[in-house]
Amino acid sequence: MIARSSASKWWQPRPLEWGPFEMFVMRAAFAVLAFVNIKWETAPYTEQKFPNGIARFVDLTWLGHHPPGDLTQYGVMVCLVLYVIGLFPALGLLPTAFFATVIGTLLNSQGAINHSWQMVTMMGLAQVAVYAWPRRTDMGRNWTVLARPDLQRHRQAVFAVLTVIAASYVVCGVVKVVNSDGLWIQKAPLLAVQLLKTHYSHFYDTLELPPQWLQDITAFLLEYPWIARIVFGAGLVIELLGFVILINRRWAFVGGVAIIALHLSISRLMNLNFEAHMFAVLIYCVNLPGLRKMVRGEA
Amino acid sequence: MDATPRQPLMTLWSRIPFRAMLVLVLALYLIREQFPFSNFPMYSNISEEADVTFVTDQNDKPIAMKALFKTSSGTSKKMYKKELGSITSQTGRDSEQATAEERAKAGKAVLDMLLPRLISKAVPPGTTALRFQVRTFRAGVSPEGGEPPEKLAESTLPTP
Repeated sequence: MIARSSASKWWQPRPLEWGPFEMFVMRAAFAVLAFVNIKWETAPYTEQKFPNGIARFVDLTWLGHHPPGDLTQYGVMVCLVLYVIGLFPALGLLPTAFFATVIGTLLNSQGAINHSWQMVTMMGLAQVAVYAWPRRTDMGRNWTVLARPDLQRHRQAVFAVLTVIAASYVVCGVVKVVNSDGLWIQKAPLLAVQLLKTHYSHFYDTLELPPQWLQDITAFLLEYPWIARIVFGAGLVIELLGFVILINRRWAFVGGVAIIALHLSISRLMNLNFEAHMFAVLIYCVNLPGLRKMVRGEA
Repeated sequence: MDATPRQPLMTLWSRIPFRAMLVLVLALYLIREQFPFSNFPMYSNISEEADVTFVTDQNDKPIAMKALFKTSSGTSKKMYKKELGSITSQTGRDSEQATAEERAKAGKAVLDMLLPRLISKAVPPGTTALRFQVRTFRAGVSPEGGEPPEKLAESTLPTP
């Protein structure tokens, strides 16, 4: 039985009772993911022709003229160690969140929006915000929680991350429904053309021809539109139901596995790889160190 | 004194399902593409056709774009679409209504942005010029049976 407070209904989720070791592993894995996800080679980007985000107000081309060198990156790593061990975690994660934001903004100000970095960057910023927030008590504001967060504060940070993941998938599904006037599943067979496009795109990137089976699948999906609707429609349902990962450990696991399966199938079919998203979901939703608790149905 | 009017609002707020996530969904939907925020609109507009941009030599032979510029065909297409959109929006038109001249202008702008990233070692021997081209795929039309690619821009390479 799921041991949740009677006051907490499934549609009003609260932070789960993640243990210290689980959350330590989450922080360690996220630190690696967040650092690796930053595209540190900024030298080619000396312009911001189509400013995006804060680049609309601040010139970020200094990153192209003076790319962050090894020393800066080592400094960021050292700070991440503080975050991982839970000592001044907001301060420890801040440089990573800063570089993820400014570099991602500069790269997305070149005219092409890349969607590989947003979710992980938001996950980092959400944690910085949670860890930097003083706790309100009857005695006033408690600032010591910023230096050495307790279990409750770490759980709030993990919950904030799960909220970012859930919102990212739900909004992705909502936009599909809205932009297609509710006809996304109806139009889904036309995605076969997009499938063809992505494979030719890969061909022009590498000069490797797409395998014959992929070309056959494209023709098959156009020929049997209802199968295309079921296949692609399942993906839309997974996105729209992304909020289930907030309910409890079991739903987080089920939702996480479904999202990873969705990405793996997209990766196979469309050659669009979202490794950072998959790893983020693996860390926080599948939560390997918490599998036993998930099976037992613990909160 | 101010606690009374706030009470019903707080009660209403506490009853909203998945409230924090819903607020974030709404915010992401409204903010749209402003890094690090995004509404992740990939494949939300399903069209009967799809474009691919690529680079060839002077004889229209494709060259591996990632090796050439460390930039993918997909990224170059987004850059092209953004350029084209900014050109046609000056006269209040959609990029779908762009003229061949406008497409060429957008293509040249993209090629000019890519050229500083050129990795000379990746240029095949005998290549004297690079062409930036667009190819359109349509539903129900086989890739071989579709329209030929459109050359958008060409740049002569300096002789070594």
